[in-house]
Amino acid sequence: MIDSKHMGPALAILTAAGMAACAGGGDESGSAGEARETIAVFTKNQTNPFFEVVRTGAARAASDMGADVVQYIPTRPDNIPEQMSQIEDVVVRRPDAIVFTPVDTQAMAPGVEQVNAAGIPVVNITDPVAGGDIVSFVGCDEVTLARDTGRYVLERIGGAGNVVILEGVGGSVNSNNRVSGFMAAVEEFPDVTLLASQPGNFQRLQALQVMENLLQTYPEIDAVLAANDSMAMGAIEALEAANRPALVVGLNGTQEAIDAIKAGTLLASGDCDGFNHGCLGAMAAIRHVRNLPVPDEILIPITVVDETNYQPLDIPLEERMCPAWETLAGE
Amino acid sequence: MSRAAVLEGGARWRDAAAEAPGVAWLLAALLVFFTVFGPRFASAPNLLNIGIQSSILLLLALPMTLVIMTEGLDLSMGAVLGLSGIVLAAALVAGYGLTVALGAALLVGLVFGAANGLLVTRVGLPPFAATLGTLGAAQGAALVATDGQSVVGIGPGLPALYASAWLGIPFSIWVAAAAYGAFHVLLYHTRFGAYVFAIGGNRDALALAGVRVDAYHAAIYALGGLMAGFAALLLTGRMNAGHPTAAIGMEFDAIAAVIVGGTRFERGYGGLPGTVLGVLAVGVLKNGLNVLAVPSSLQVASIGLLVIAALLVDSIRGRS
Amino acid sequence: MSAAPPAGAALAGWPLRMPSIGYRLLGVAALCLALALATDAFLTLPNLLNVLRQASLTFLIASGLTLVIVTAGLDLSIGANLGLSACFAAAVIQASGSVLLGAAVGLVSGLVIGVANGVMVTWLKLPPFIATYGMLWMVYGVNYWYMAGTTIYDFPQGFRNLGSGDALGVPVPVYLTAAAMLVGGLFTRYTTWGHDIYAIGANREAARLSGIPVRSRLMLVYTLSGAMAGLSGIVYLARLNSAEAGMGDPLLLPAIAAVLIGGTSLFGGIGTLSGTFVGALILTLTLNGMNLLTIDTNWQPLVMGVIVLLAAWLDASTRRRAEARA
Repeated sequence: MIDSKHMGPALAILTAAGMAACAGGGDESGSAGEARETIAVFTKNQTNPFFEVVRTGAARAASDMGADVVQYIPTRPDNIPEQMSQIEDVVVRRPDAIVFTPVDTQAMAPGVEQVNAAGIPVVNITDPVAGGDIVSFVGCDEVTLARDTGRYVLERIGGAGNVVILEGVGGSVNSNNRVSGFMAAVEEFPDVTLLASQPGNFQRLQALQVMENLLQTYPEIDAVLAANDSMAMGAIEALEAANRPALVVGLNGTQEAIDAIKAGTLLASGDCDGFNHGCLGAMAAIRHVRNLPVPDEILIPITVVDETNYQPLDIPLEERMCPAWETLAGE
Repeated sequence: MSRAAVLEGGARWRDAAAEAPGVAWLLAALLVFFTVFGPRFASAPNLLNIGIQSSILLLLALPMTLVIMTEGLDLSMGAVLGLSGIVLAAALVAGYGLTVALGAALLVGLVFGAANGLLVTRVGLPPFAATLGTLGAAQGAALVATDGQSVVGIGPGLPALYASAWLGIPFSIWVAAAAYGAFHVLLYHTRFGAYVFAIGGNRDALALAGVRVDAYHAAIYALGGLMAGFAALLLTGRMNAGHPTAAIGMEFDAIAAVIVGGTRFERGYGGLPGTVLGVLAVGVLKNGLNVLAVPSSLQVASIGLLVIAALLVDSIRGRS
Repeated sequence: MSAAPPAGAALAGWPLRMPSIGYRLLGVAALCLALALATDAFLTLPNLLNVLRQASLTFLIASGLTLVIVTAGLDLSIGANLGLSACFAAAVIQASGSVLLGAAVGLVSGLVIGVANGVMVTWLKLPPFIATYGMLWMVYGVNYWYMAGTTIYDFPQGFRNLGSGDALGVPVPVYLTAAAMLVGGLFTRYTTWGHDIYAIGANREAARLSGIPVRSRLMLVYTLSGAMAGLSGIVYLARLNSAEAGMGDPLLLPAIAAVLIGGTSLFGGIGTLSGTFVGALILTLTLNGMNLLTIDTNWQPLVMGVIVLLAAWLDASTRRRAEARA
């Protein structure tokens, strides 16, 4: 017999989970009669603004095309076993297609193979997964992105001076590509000296502390090349506090970076639009389900955003519109 | 059936119900709820998924139960699992057979586990501090050795083994079941197991009886390290690669599962069946919320809610 | 032979509460010497102030935790708490334009989480480790939902000075740390309540039998821990000039490490705030030195682990020697 003492907490859980089910499953049951496709969108974490922009883009594209999206995000940021479990769970749920950002390009390959085995099409976005079959890859060349942005700031310091690089998470594909792009730019200018290249783990606080320490070691720093905008903003905090001038560039084109460019604290941010990643990823997935042609690879154009060209990105996320399919994925 | 037998049966059932930790009720409630509301939750493939997803955690939670019963804690298990996975993968990449590679992973686990045991028993460090230190050491070693990169190219042998199934049950579930069986026998049917209860409950009496308490106590930690090394087999097979940070935080999940399962830091109190329920409750919750496509922020909060609710049920019944 | 002065009674607990502080200060000196020899950049005033600023921030989060650990408890929710408090404070400052109101909201949010932990540990008798671990997940859940992957940024310069500014050439967080150490030191050394906290940690049952209101003291300690996490959230917000949901995540383990390196015992009853500050200093000096020498950051967890082990070993051997003498 279940005595009443146990029922309280159990009911509390049930109620909470029940509300969750209504919140989460509502749109699906509402459209049970029609044949709306469901697209499962996988992103790496809930903390990086870039992925919120990706998710919003995917949701926008899906609603434009009359499909539903379900978002899957690991509860621990960038957790490999957890994303693997989420893939297994989604295979049970059987969405019509999956838009997939791997938390790790190598270790998530078996996950994509599992989805393949279940016969669910996969569109891979942002980072290219190392195995399995995909319908299409939507992303950008991050080496070029970093090289162009690095080149931009090095030209602005007159092609001569001392620079530091702030790396992302050591060993991650994003960080490796971005750092090698920065390195390529530095090598183009013989009078530029690379003082240090230190990891800031894509985090603002770590970048701030690394920058504070580097400012002590090096009396003259002319430019800072940060592998994402959060670290660029951390570096700016350190520079301002130490009252040291240096030109700073970041990558990702986040709203915060745009505002800093407008305020004149950040020189530029290399942008490979996350919103377009989400849009094109979801569009490609839905088009594939609807038997429309989809190219193997869709490269999102790269922009070095500075004070002259930030306007197209400077609108609230909810108001942004997906580009027409043909403009970015035209044959 | 006679009336007496029915009554007796009923009484036995009531006893079992009173004995069951709070998490048993929560698990039952979750299963009912997800079966009613979750499309395809109660399907065979999905239930197997829960088993697959819970198996690695169980391999850590079993020895963690023993560690916690002896008023200890092992924070290094996740990091040691990560490092062992790196070693396992690197050995396979270097062309060694699976047996050699697994042996190397087990050795790494054993070394760290034994180090924990010695630090706690011989040097007299608090288990939290000792294993936090070895966590850093294992984590750092894995990062330095790999420069943060995945170790890939382990060949088809291990992934094929991981993907295999017998009688329709996947490899990882068999491994987890076998591990449970071994631990069950070890804890409940050997002298070692009796000492585990005694070390947590009445250490001094045990020492007075002439038992080498320190050696047995250290062996519990060594066993924890060994199991972390063994779990590398499943983790590496699952990812088809070794990754230095893949298992970060798993030690906290294991500790939570053990405590939720009714084991306590004091008085040698607790047991392995409760730990299985704790691991399954976490697994069912995460899986069910995914199948229902509940927003991720709510999933994060639900994990905390589950942990606290399970403790509350036990606390209200006066068990802690 | 000098007779014990009247103050001796208050100092009687001194060696027990601050174990091997001499060795720790020796460690700090050795670290400083090694770094000064290794790089010219170390022994400069700006760099030393920089180290003090970073150590102060670590100390602020770890201060409340120190008292919790002295009672043989634990608070794993401080990192998550810091993040949520900073995000709430940030949102209120942006919406109302009032820094004071925002700071108050951040502080109250930290305090409320602390009270909730206290209720779980005292009235509901849940084990602290796991109760605060559950709280960690709940707080993150709320914060992820509230922030939805966004960042709140750009605050008035006056507010930002709280984290990144100087007064009389000394970083502002250093004053906060000095104040916290002074008030906390007086509280733990000279008040009955402070003594109660050590008594509870040393032997809870004995403390209860000797009439100490264990529940309300524990409640106070967890509330303080939550409030300090909230306060640290505000200072970090000012320092980073931005708030995001995950910001407290990397701060939890260093805070615990600082407490342990500082000699506070997880068995309870032993530990001081000044010890924790020394712990934070050792941690910061090590990381600062590794940065100055541009050593690969992959080595950091290993080095931190070794320091934690060394500190714990130092305390264990000191304790054994003391027991052998007794």
